[in-house]
Amino acid sequence: MTTSLWKLVGAAAAVALFGISEAEAQAPIKIGASLSLTGTYAKPGTYQKEGYEVCADELNAKGGLLGRKVEFVMYDDQSSTQTAQRLYEKLITEDKVEAVMGPYSSGITESVAGISEKYKKVMVSPLAATTSIFRQGRKYIFMVISPAEFYLEGLVDMGAKRGLKTIAIINEDTLFPKATVVGTEELAKKRGLQVVLREAYPKGNTDFSALLVKIKAVNPDIIAAATYFDDAVAITRQMKELNVNPKMFGVTVGGDIPEFYTLLKQNAEYVYGSTQWDEVLPYPGQKEFLSAYQKRFKHEPSYHAAAGYAGCLIYAEGVKRAKSLDADLVRAELLKLKIRTAFGDYAVDQDGFQTAHKMVMIQWQDGKRVVVWPDDLASGKLRFPTPPWSQR
Amino acid sequence: MLGQVVISGLLAGALYAMVALGLGLIFGVMRVLNVSHGPLLMLGAYTTFWLFQWLGLNPYLSLLVSMPLLFLVGMALQRLFVRRVVDAPELSSLLLTFGVSIAIVNLAQLAFTADLRSVEYLTGSFVWGPFAFSKSRVIACAFAIVITTGAFLFLRRTRLGKAVRAVSQSREVAQVCGIDVGRIHMLAFGIGSALAAAGGSLVAVMVAIQPEMGQVYTFKSFLVIVLGGAGNYPGALLGGLLLGLIEQLSSLFLTTQVNEAVAYILLVLVLLVRPTGLLKGRA
Repeated sequence: MTTSLWKLVGAAAAVALFGISEAEAQAPIKIGASLSLTGTYAKPGTYQKEGYEVCADELNAKGGLLGRKVEFVMYDDQSSTQTAQRLYEKLITEDKVEAVMGPYSSGITESVAGISEKYKKVMVSPLAATTSIFRQGRKYIFMVISPAEFYLEGLVDMGAKRGLKTIAIINEDTLFPKATVVGTEELAKKRGLQVVLREAYPKGNTDFSALLVKIKAVNPDIIAAATYFDDAVAITRQMKELNVNPKMFGVTVGGDIPEFYTLLKQNAEYVYGSTQWDEVLPYPGQKEFLSAYQKRFKHEPSYHAAAGYAGCLIYAEGVKRAKSLDADLVRAELLKLKIRTAFGDYAVDQDGFQTAHKMVMIQWQDGKRVVVWPDDLASGKLRFPTPPWSQR
Repeated sequence: MLGQVVISGLLAGALYAMVALGLGLIFGVMRVLNVSHGPLLMLGAYTTFWLFQWLGLNPYLSLLVSMPLLFLVGMALQRLFVRRVVDAPELSSLLLTFGVSIAIVNLAQLAFTADLRSVEYLTGSFVWGPFAFSKSRVIACAFAIVITTGAFLFLRRTRLGKAVRAVSQSREVAQVCGIDVGRIHMLAFGIGSALAAAGGSLVAVMVAIQPEMGQVYTFKSFLVIVLGGAGNYPGALLGGLLLGLIEQLSSLFLTTQVNEAVAYILLVLVLLVRPTGLLKGRA
């Protein structure tokens, strides 16, 4: 024990005598973020944090950023906008972080965007999908995932290519699904599809009979539903009950997660779901990300983790190209940057609004998620058209 | 189109009627509005789910477990908590059962997690001409009719049932006639909870099961008994069918978004115009 103590003192003395100037130059770059580690967003928020951590590990293994180590300072905002606001103030003014990364969810991102702007910090926000956040003339915020409006682009595109003519669009009556249907309707009209029905239902609705009867009466080729999860399950089930038989049926959130199949079993077959990312996609760096993530966290990453990871890499790329942490220089580089990461493509317009990232569509086939759109990323063939319930 | 919607409405309505009868019974006998009625329904649904998951038990057979089980749970709740507020102002019983309701939901979240579950047993429908009859809903409706009829016969014909009605008409007179009012209260709470459990077991096959699934049934049942006339047991049947129809028809002719609004506007109208309910309830 005494020897180890002496060693420690010796080491400390050595650092004190010879290492000071070097240590100062080598001080890590502190990047701050608040994430929802408890509360409603605990699951996705934690995944996002894990994504940031894998990114920091990777950067450090490759010699850090601008020759300095990268260190994340992260706090739990308890899924609350007020707490997040306080934490970003604290990170910037007290912890003196040199950069920040975005929190989880559109709502919290919107509430803290004013703070990063005020202190002129670039904030790459990997998990904010609401368009309006990026249309307020803010200078330092950057978007990574595809906006809500494009969630069902794949469904519309595949249907239009196969000569389908009519589409019914339904949604839960909340912010995100509403934005999705606005986008879907526009995309559908552009592709010459006729929107034969558009209707919203309240959050928490469980009985879709009347809505489905109305849909059945107009008999659309495609049913596009901007859903969360419970509603996606209920609609699928009640479509079978009421014998509603579109040629394609796609949902947004919920359709891509394993529980969708666990709950619906074979009734989930042929259903399309949209997702920001899937681990089977052939993106560069995908394998490295998956193995590093699984090694560290012992479970499969969700798209939240992948987006967090990629967002952090994108920021790092901006810093590398700017050769500086200066917000204006990094911003200029991020506006120009076009890159494909493990999460897919990145490119933004002058507002920092994402223009390159593609949503992918999956289809449930024999109990597995198969990526069927876009063509260059597809992992399998589309099963089209969806057969009527009576012939399954 | 109208026909299909009427069918859906009546199928849903029979189930509402059965669940609401449970709430109405408790209210009629004790003047206690049991806010935890919906959460008890949720427990019934979980009973069916676990029996199906572990033993592969037919979900309809699980009614034989969920109803007696929740009957006991209901009696225990009455004995432990509700008994203390029967004579207190109605706000106390509202607060108490509201607390019980939150406790049940949170305990269920701890015990079962918030993950969605489902009993994939009967899916699809019987197709008859242009109409589709959802298999699970038709069967649920049939069970609801049988169980509701059973409850009515019990109230009408048996001595114990008559005692229950006597207590709900006038507690003092019943007591004078030698009826053990305390026992009847427990019995009524037990039966009311068992009816909720039956509703839970039946919807378990139709919708996703999760700890917060029940609350909406508390409100629906409340609406039903107000429509039908609080304390008027056949009124619950009428109210249930009516609610099922209103929900479906307003979705059809207006939009799905407004069906709850329509139902509650109707509730306000009934309260204004016929505060005793469509069939005369006990004032």
